[in-house]
Amino acid sequence: MTATATPATRPQPAMRGLAVRQVRRGAVVVTAVCAGMSALVVVGYRADALDPAAVAALARNPAIRTLFGDPVALDQAGGFTVWRTGTVLAVVLGVWAMLAATRITRGEEDAGRWGLLLSGRVTLAEAVRHHLGVLAVVPVLVGAATAAAMIAAGAESTGSVLHGTGLAAVGLFFVAVGGVGAQLFSSRSAANGAAAAVLVVGLLMRMVGDGVPALAWLRWLSPFGLMALTRPFATGRGLPVVVLTCAALLLLALAGWLAARRDVGAGILATSDSRPARTALLGSVPAFAVRRTMRPLAAWSAGIGAYFLLLGLIARSMTEFLTGNPQFAAMAAQAGFPALGTVEGYAATMFTLLAVPVGVFVSVRLAATAADENARRLTLVLAAPVTRLRLLAAEATIAGCAALLLITLSGLAMWAGTAIVHAGLGAADALAGAWNVAPIMVLCLGAGVLALGWRPRTVAAVGALPAAGGFVWQVIADSVDAPAWVRALSPFAHLAAVPATAPAWRAAAVMAGIAAAGVVAGSIGYRRRDLCT
Amino acid sequence: MGVSALRTENLSKRYGRLLALDNLTLDVAAGEVFGFLGPNGAGKSTTIRLLLGLARPTSGRARIFDTDAADVAAAHRRLAYVPADVALWQRMTGAEVLDLLARIGPGTDTAYRDELIQRFALDVSKPAGTYSTGNRQKVALIAAFATRAPLLVLDEPTSGLDPLMELQFRQAVGVARDNGQTVFLSSHQLAEVEAVCDRVGILRAGQLVEVASVAQLRRLHHTEVAATFTGTPPDLTGVLGVDGLHEDGPAAVRFTLNGSPAAALRALADADVATIVVREQSLEEIFLAYYGQSPR
Ligand SMILES: Nc1ncnc2c1ncn2[C@@H]1O[C@H](COP(=O)(O)OP(=O)(O)O)[C@@H](O)[C@H]1O
Ligand SMILES: [Mg+2]
Repeated sequence: MTATATPATRPQPAMRGLAVRQVRRGAVVVTAVCAGMSALVVVGYRADALDPAAVAALARNPAIRTLFGDPVALDQAGGFTVWRTGTVLAVVLGVWAMLAATRITRGEEDAGRWGLLLSGRVTLAEAVRHHLGVLAVVPVLVGAATAAAMIAAGAESTGSVLHGTGLAAVGLFFVAVGGVGAQLFSSRSAANGAAAAVLVVGLLMRMVGDGVPALAWLRWLSPFGLMALTRPFATGRGLPVVVLTCAALLLLALAGWLAARRDVGAGILATSDSRPARTALLGSVPAFAVRRTMRPLAAWSAGIGAYFLLLGLIARSMTEFLTGNPQFAAMAAQAGFPALGTVEGYAATMFTLLAVPVGVFVSVRLAATAADENARRLTLVLAAPVTRLRLLAAEATIAGCAALLLITLSGLAMWAGTAIVHAGLGAADALAGAWNVAPIMVLCLGAGVLALGWRPRTVAAVGALPAAGGFVWQVIADSVDAPAWVRALSPFAHLAAVPATAPAWRAAAVMAGIAAAGVVAGSIGYRRRDLCT
Repeated sequence: MGVSALRTENLSKRYGRLLALDNLTLDVAAGEVFGFLGPNGAGKSTTIRLLLGLARPTSGRARIFDTDAADVAAAHRRLAYVPADVALWQRMTGAEVLDLLARIGPGTDTAYRDELIQRFALDVSKPAGTYSTGNRQKVALIAAFATRAPLLVLDEPTSGLDPLMELQFRQAVGVARDNGQTVFLSSHQLAEVEAVCDRVGILRAGQLVEVASVAQLRRLHHTEVAATFTGTPPDLTGVLGVDGLHEDGPAAVRFTLNGSPAAALRALADADVATIVVREQSLEEIFLAYYGQSPR
């Protein structure tokens, strides 16, 4: 050894540092959202005396249970908060955890950035374990922060801790699911798709398990069901969260084990071998955009379609219950679900929720374009006589059209569900209600294009902001009785309750105008900037 | 002077504080095979990205034939490109990628493409996710050579190829040259450049330090001469073109010749030369001399 040689440092701390840098910003945001929202709802809870008989009726109603989960301990601020925000926050944390897991493992590997890392003394399995290990800390922090925030806001501490633990376990579970997906599949998008399927199926199992007593056992198979079964602020059971944590740890171990059994850049599930060329939809840039959108569109349609079919199936039970129990109609209104008493009002309220997944869908599609650029897959396309504007127009138009298709399918699914139970929702009404969220989707498209033009790394987050951010904003504003101008910042405040009322055309036009401005500004940036090639 | 296939005028590109390309003025004639040489980080890929309109110049202009490089709809109808690292969609097979590139590209000779697939021994029925770096590079090379576009821009296209495939590559460049296509070849591989290029440009730290034919480069540079004498060696100090004079013992000298050898030969002829060895520096030594001047 020469005197000038740098001493060999252990590579593990450096690798963990790398992982921390990749997740810290998202971790801060997701922690703030979970803790902040929980605390706000605790603070905003008004302990108006609830009629115990009415609560019992509420707890028995399958539709309520399907939609919101088992209503328990609603007479306490903590119990109400869990019922109101538990599933939403678990989904937010779960989605973030799985996306982050695939991003920092398979995504980095896909982009070829692990080649250097793994040429040293670090094995692939070690790299996967350390990255997932760092990420696994985040849900624990989120759970702890949520519990602390609820206690600080005045909720009872045992229940708060149990709820925080449940939330952490769900997050941990989805870190593990994303991690396993990243080992099984050789591309980040396939890993994300598989993890998302687990999430959606888990959510649907929770809903069906809560709504249909004979299938209550399904909840033991779903992370969201297990979280709900802990019943914080009521019976308070620890077993479900232990089961969930064990499942998560097993899956994490599985991810490490699988990583040791594959090559760098490959997946456990071998990419299909030789096959004849499928040359459909390769003839032009727009056709190629359609080709790349079909598979994700099919997956999203299946998930969202199943959800709205289920919502249609419970429509009648829900509306009848609320007409019979006006006290809950008022309570639902306070929780941001007004006018659930008629099937049109119910449909309008449920379709509002549709804006979130559809907005996320659009932003994820634009983020896929950004990822293709970042991974240099678009270089060969852009070396053809294809202008940037043409590429951007094709990608954005196809993403928007696919989202409209998704919206239409959801409308039809809801209509089919209501038709099966004879709830009396017209097909035209169902479609009108679904299409009512199109302006928010378009807003997401505008935000996504803007980000693609100026900050391509932020496309997914910025694009989803009007839908996901706007939804959370409205929930918080409603929960704390915020002043009107604060509520008005969310696009959801400007949606009319179609089909119960006429569409708010003016608001839709304003949103379309803002979106168009975003598209124009984004296009200018996209034309000007250096492409990552 | 004929038509330029590619021309840059004072082309510069700045990344923050780093001047990646500094005032590049370059003219590549149509039909020429031009080698673009430089060490890692010299700015070769940056130049190519500017030529393709993928990055925007900080100043200066680039033209492809008679169109502005920024007008890609027109410019890219006349060129094909092979990037330094080829990334493909994992689930698409090689055949599907080639089909896509042929259909959106500047027009493809499918018969020649099929021949190239054979020559490069690429299994195009496999998904790109199973391809090695070299195989992905082959896909881009086949697509580019099959276009018969008048200008081929190749950025270190053989870095992942084995020697056998390297040979196929040289043949394909030869075919392109015979077709009158222009080839702009960025490379590190001096043997490859020597074998296929008419002219080379040498880039160092963003600056073009030399443009010459390979033969000219050699002539411009030192030739090493070692001579032994039966009698006393002649005094060569001050003789025109003689540099680095070195005495190896009482009856032997070594020196390098710079420029015309006439004066030195006359001086040697007057003495009794026993043996003389004249050695041209290899291209590699010439480039090392360039690169060594001030490494970035
Ligand atoms: N997108 C970029 N941002 C910042 N610096 C860059 C970027 N692309 C290239 N560079 C820098 O510009 C210089 C030239 O790079 P490049 O053209 O890739 O070199 P070459 O292809 O000759 O190896 C390098 O120092 C590189 O680090
Ligand atoms: Mg390069």
